[in-house]
Amino acid sequence: MKTLVYIVIGIVLLLLEVVISPRISLDVLKPELGMPIVLYVTFFLGARSGLIAAVCIGLVEESLSGAPSGSLLFVSVFIYLMAVAMRRKFFIDSKYSFAYLSSGSVIVQSFLFLALSFFARGEARGALNILFYAVPNAIVTGFVSILLFSFIEQLNNAFLEGNR
Amino acid sequence: MARSYLTLKSGLGSVLGPALNVASKPVTAVGGIFDSYVNLVGVKKENEDLREKCERLYVENQKLVETERENTRLRKLLDFAQKKPNTMIAASVIGEDLKNWFRCIIIDKGSRQNVREKMPVVTPKGIVGQVVEADLWHAKVMVLNDTNSSIDVNVEGKNTRGLLEGTGQNTVKLKYVIKNDDIEIGDKLVTSGKDGIYPKGIPAGIVITANKNKAGIFADIDVMPYNNFRQLDEVLLIRK
Repeated sequence: MKTLVYIVIGIVLLLLEVVISPRISLDVLKPELGMPIVLYVTFFLGARSGLIAAVCIGLVEESLSGAPSGSLLFVSVFIYLMAVAMRRKFFIDSKYSFAYLSSGSVIVQSFLFLALSFFARGEARGALNILFYAVPNAIVTGFVSILLFSFIEQLNNAFLEGNR
Repeated sequence: MARSYLTLKSGLGSVLGPALNVASKPVTAVGGIFDSYVNLVGVKKENEDLREKCERLYVENQKLVETERENTRLRKLLDFAQKKPNTMIAASVIGEDLKNWFRCIIIDKGSRQNVREKMPVVTPKGIVGQVVEADLWHAKVMVLNDTNSSIDVNVEGKNTRGLLEGTGQNTVKLKYVIKNDDIEIGDKLVTSGKDGIYPKGIPAGIVITANKNKAGIFADIDVMPYNNFRQLDEVLLIRK
């Protein structure tokens, strides 16, 4: 139940981002809204739920982006695998540690995508573009993750406590 | 030194914050009494009414201006589409790519409305890009300034030809133009029709810098597209 709710929240956020972003003239204000959901589900609900979230979010991201097929899904699943490996080593005790984790995942995601396009095509034409946006994206995502974490925690306390 | 200054500043801020909050309340209350009862008993009410009316009229005026702009834009689009009535599909832009690594827009027409991949997308001002993915209800359009976009173009009125490539930024690069070729700032570029995607003669952009002093045989040319891709509301797709 919780997994489904979080995935739906992630999807709604992604849709809103796609619709709202043309109205915002600043390009750098584009947070990564899918990855924090994947991380939250993986860290708090377990590896199996995390995998479902990673696949769903990866697929939705891909359908809302002009990225080459499979690339965003691959990146999403890769981040999930990293999260699974880190689960026992990294402890999320507050919204701030969650924000750090989300920001870090955005940086990893950028480099992963860069490496992927380089290995797949032998060149990365948008390399500078991806590098240019990596840090601003990470910062904006970090801030948004704080709000997202608080929102999910409130949602848990109000409605989802006890359901899994 | 710096640390103790910061500690002091934060301590001061902690004390002053609530104090300011407390102090502002009676001042506001006294100011309100003075405004309402001592001097301006009837005038304040009238002023509020007028201000409200003024704000309402301002909002209405803004709506009218926006409607007029939309009207002009749609009329231009209609004129353009009427030149070739059966070859155009009008679509609205409903979103933008999720990642800022790509320059892609999402339109509200899909394969149900006969939108197909590689369809050229234009506005009355000039070229926008091409359809890269057509789902049932919507399609993704790769915009001219995407790093994966390339368009074969000619310089209007001259024999010079080159490849317009996206940079991910607002300007695009005109590549493979030899330094001896006839090109200068202000030249207008139109599609050549030789890439098999875009029809011939659609405006693409205007040359804003042409550097022929760099090493190599090709000139370094920056081009400003005619369209502002972040402010597109409606586009036209050209049927092949």
